[in-house]
Amino acid sequence: MNLRIIHANIIRANIIVSIKSFYREKTVVFFRIAFPVILILVFGTIFMERDNEIFELSIQDLSRTTSSEQLVEALDQSERFNITPVSPDVDAKQYARDNKLNLIVIIPENFEISLMEKMAAGHFETPVTLTKVYDPGSFGVTTKIGVLDMALAKINQEMSGNPPLIASEPVSILKKKYRFIEFFVPGIIAMAVMTASLFGSVNVNAELLQKGVIRKLSTTPITRIDWILSNVLYQFILAVVSTAVMLLVSYAVFKVSLEINAWLVVFVALDVFAFVGLGMILTRVAREAESASAAADALMFPMMFLSGTFFPVEMMPEFLQTFARILPLYYVNEGLRAAMIAVDHTAALKCALIIGAFAAVVFVLGIMTTRIGGETP
Amino acid sequence: MIQNSKYAIEVNNLTKHYKGLSAVDNISFAVERGEVFALLGPNGAGKTTTVEILNTIRKPTSGKVMLLGMDVTQKKYDIIPRIGVLPQGFSSFDRITVKETLQYYSRLFCRKKPDIQGLMKLVNLKDKAAVQYKNLSGGLKQRLGIAVALVNDPEIVFLDEPTTGLDPLARRAMWEVLLDLKKNGKTLFLTTHYMEEAELLADTVSIVKKGKIFAMGSPGELIESNADYLVVMLKSVDETVFDIVEKMGFAPEYDSHGHITVRLAHTDDVRRILNAVRESGASFTGLDVRKPNLEEVFLKLTDDTFLKSVAGIEEAQ
Ligand SMILES: Nc1ncnc2c1ncn2[C@@H]1O[C@H](COP(=O)(O)OP(=O)(O)OP(=O)(O)O)[C@@H](O)[C@H]1O
Ligand SMILES: [Mg+2]
Repeated sequence: MNLRIIHANIIRANIIVSIKSFYREKTVVFFRIAFPVILILVFGTIFMERDNEIFELSIQDLSRTTSSEQLVEALDQSERFNITPVSPDVDAKQYARDNKLNLIVIIPENFEISLMEKMAAGHFETPVTLTKVYDPGSFGVTTKIGVLDMALAKINQEMSGNPPLIASEPVSILKKKYRFIEFFVPGIIAMAVMTASLFGSVNVNAELLQKGVIRKLSTTPITRIDWILSNVLYQFILAVVSTAVMLLVSYAVFKVSLEINAWLVVFVALDVFAFVGLGMILTRVAREAESASAAADALMFPMMFLSGTFFPVEMMPEFLQTFARILPLYYVNEGLRAAMIAVDHTAALKCALIIGAFAAVVFVLGIMTTRIGGETP
Repeated sequence: MIQNSKYAIEVNNLTKHYKGLSAVDNISFAVERGEVFALLGPNGAGKTTTVEILNTIRKPTSGKVMLLGMDVTQKKYDIIPRIGVLPQGFSSFDRITVKETLQYYSRLFCRKKPDIQGLMKLVNLKDKAAVQYKNLSGGLKQRLGIAVALVNDPEIVFLDEPTTGLDPLARRAMWEVLLDLKKNGKTLFLTTHYMEEAELLADTVSIVKKGKIFAMGSPGELIESNADYLVVMLKSVDETVFDIVEKMGFAPEYDSHGHITVRLAHTDDVRRILNAVRESGASFTGLDVRKPNLEEVFLKLTDDTFLKSVAGIEEAQ
């Protein structure tokens, strides 16, 4: 019996063949490298705008006085609005419909006079009223009105000269303010590495098994540990490349403030280990290439949507949150975010231990079920 | 150490069951070093099962198999570097070229200085070195498979149906390669459906069916010991001849050229038929009497209905 069960040169030979097969197959390259980047660009762009949104605001100034100009000026200074004047000669409602505007603020004709009267009288019980013509069916108009009201309240308070009675100051639990994109990128990394590892190992192994290449390999000195390690290392190399590309794009396009540290490598490695191993087990259990892929789908989709890739798990109902906590991908997500956003080593370690234990179990099962190097009944 | 036994392969009472089916049923044989041994049998005879047990890929249900003096169930990793295998329906990595495939397999065997050029020359693939596997024709794929089986300079080469699916020209090219290997002193173990292949290449042919060995020996011996009948062919005959022969109790057949073939157990019968034909006044332009070839021996041994076409022969064995 040959006691050497790991052969470095055999593993190297396998990785060379895998990498060559990879870059010669252009569609695989696209899905592996370009697709996650496209996801980041699309979702990043959508949510970027929502994060520091500058609202389009149309104002119809019927008063055309110094006071009304000052009000427009003050709103402009708040830096939350991109103000477009609407001609006083048009009907605001019709204009909003025609131009698909969801909000027009109308400054009344008597704005300056009413304001002067109230200031002179020194009482503010009945305020001067601005009219907001809005489209209730428009997505996001409520937020816009909220922001507008806040801006107006501030202007009011400054004009009346009273200091605010209650003030509040936000203190983030994180060291830095973080945006959706910073939440999103680690999730996409975890998901992209998971799907590529799972499908990479299911597809390659099922195909090679079906074509009989594995049978040929089992008449060579390669051992099953060589084979599994080759698969894992190859997937890890690709995962590192694809993660690097995702991060580079995120930094270049969105200037994300994500911490890069050793944890990133740890979680990418564990992600690969766990899901390559799982893929190998599926291949063995399902036997047919199609049913192995179907089984991989069945495992992957719940994980993609329920383990906090696209939105925080806390947004889901309680029972789904409990469910999320048994999904391995949840711990990769949480771990990566702990490492890259909050830089919380304790939390990262906890997640690493959980996903590490899972990966170890799957790896051992993978070795036990994988069929190469003979020893089959 | 009995590692240098006279035999390259020794199989004793080998049996393999698959859930109620005996794919291999208590077979024994031995192959000397440098010998070419062919396992001949119809589909499902158990050829691949036997080869794969010899290759250490499958485990026997019972029996003992020794390769180069080592037990296949215990010395897998000592045996493997010394044998080369062309599995049935060889396949390889689609996007890897001929040269890269040979390099890859050389690395699996940890060969320091593999002679890739020499291998490509041997199987006539030199001008295809840079072609990816998926773009090779069936015959070229098969030849690459043989080259792959040789990367570790094995002492025994196993070839499971090396010429199945090849056109006649490609088959002859493959035979050349195999004869070359034989000349170089390799022990060859091959399975095939083709008699002429076994007849041409093998020193020993073993005919198997339903997991059992029906006959074994050199092609000449096999023909000699099983050729207990004659094949008579009558050329350019008129149609009445067929009826005459049939009425005499024989089983004539038309072959693809329109000639009448009839298998006869006794030399006497030849004379009787000729007399009968002459008396009827029918004519024929040619007559050919010969011993059966290995193909007919194979059919006789493996096809139950075949025997009935040879009048006067009692069920053999
Ligand atoms: N893994 C298996 N499980 C169950 N039955 C099997 C298995 N492999 C082969 N058999 C059966 O064993 C018998 C022998 O099969 P084997 O492949 O050895 O035949 P073969 O002589 O190589 O045939 P062919 O000329 O078609 O390649 C067949 O009846 C086949 O169906
Ligand atoms: Mg076969």
